Amino acid sequence: MNSKPQPGKDNFTRNLVIVVVVGVILLMLVPTLLSKKTNKDAVIPSVASSAHGYGITYNADLTGVPVIDIYEDFQCPVCAQFEAAQGDYIESLIADKKATVVYHTLSFLGPESIAAANAGACAADEGKFLDFHKMLYVTQPKENSGAWSNAALAASGQSVGITSQKFTTCVTKGKFADWVGNVAAEGAKKNVNSTPTVFINGKELNRGNDYYDRNLFKAAIERG
Amino acid sequence: MKTFTPWIGLISRLILGGVLLAAGLLKYQHLDKSQMAVRAYELLPIAIANVIGIVLPFLEIGMGLLLILGAGTRIVGLAGAVLMFIFVIGISQAWARGLSIDCGCFGGGGQVAPGTANYLPELLRDAGLAALGIYLFIYPQSKFALDKNSHQQGNQS
Repeated sequence: MNSKPQPGKDNFTRNLVIVVVVGVILLMLVPTLLSKKTNKDAVIPSVASSAHGYGITYNADLTGVPVIDIYEDFQCPVCAQFEAAQGDYIESLIADKKATVVYHTLSFLGPESIAAANAGACAADEGKFLDFHKMLYVTQPKENSGAWSNAALAASGQSVGITSQKFTTCVTKGKFADWVGNVAAEGAKKNVNSTPTVFINGKELNRGNDYYDRNLFKAAIERG
Repeated sequence: MKTFTPWIGLISRLILGGVLLAAGLLKYQHLDKSQMAVRAYELLPIAIANVIGIVLPFLEIGMGLLLILGAGTRIVGLAGAVLMFIFVIGISQAWARGLSIDCGCFGGGGQVAPGTANYLPELLRDAGLAALGIYLFIYPQSKFALDKNSHQQGNQS
C-alpha cells in the first residue's frame, strides 16, 4: 500500500489546509501553556501569600496548631454542602485561634468561578472574606447561569456590609484575575483532583463522610 | 478496490474526526478540569500531567479537523488509533488499580464517588474508535477528502 502524498498541484489545497490547521493550533497552544504558569507579578490580596499556595490565609502566624487547607470552587454544589456542614465550625477555629486556615478558591468550573474567586479576594481586602464566602455559598446559583456577573457580585457585597467604591471597582475590573490563575496553578501542583479537597497538616482528608459529618471532621482535625 | 470502500472511509473519518473535535472543544472550555482529569489517572508525574491536560485538547481539535476535511487521512488516522489505544491503557489501569475516576473523555474528569466509575462502555467506545483509525490507516481512500492521491489510489488498485 503506497499512499504517500504525490507532489504536484493536486495536493496543494490539502497541504495548505494541514499547514493552516497545525499553525493555528500551535499559535493558540503556546500562549495557553504560558498562561497556566504561576505569575510572580500578579497583584495578590493582602491576606494571601505564596507561602500558602496563594490561598487566603487566616492565623498564618500561629504555631503548634493544625494547618487546614481548603480547596474549593464557589460554583461547586458539593462545596456548598461542605460549607453548610462545617463552615461555622471552621470559622470558630479561626476566631478562637485554634487553627491556621487557608482558603484556595479554585476556578475549574468556568468563567463565573473566576469572577466569584476574584470577588472573594476583593472582599478579603475589605476584611469581609468569611462573610462574603458564606453568602456566596448560601445564594449559589446554577453553574455559569449568568447570575454571577461582575456587576451582580459587586452589588452582592452590600448584603454583607461592603459598601466601598474600591470593592466595586476591584470586582468589576477583575483586579485579582492573575491571582485566581496562580491559585489554580498551585492547586494543580498539589494534585487537587476534586472539590472540595481538604488537607490537614498537608495530609488529604479521607474522601467520604469525613467531609460532611461534624464529629468525624472534628476528630480528623484534632488528630492533626 | 470495491466501490463502497471510499464511503466506509468517509464514515470512519467523520465519526473519528467528529468525536475528536467534540472531545477537544469540550475540554478546551475547561482547561483546569482537563488537567485535573489527566492527573486523576495517577500515571504521570504531576507536572507532566498538567502539561498534557493542556496540550491534549488542542491536539484533539487539530486531528479532528484534519480527519473531517480528509487532509492527511492516513497518518492522522494512525495517530488517532494510537491516541485511543493510549486512552484504553489509561482507563484499564485505572480500573485494575481500583481508582474511582471519571475518564474525562468529553470534559469533566477527576475523582468520583467510589463505585460510580463506569469503565467498560468507555473502553469499548475507545476500542471501536481505535479500529476506525486503523481502518483509515490501511484504507485511506475516502469520498469528499482533500487528499487527492487517495482517489487515484482507489482507482489504480
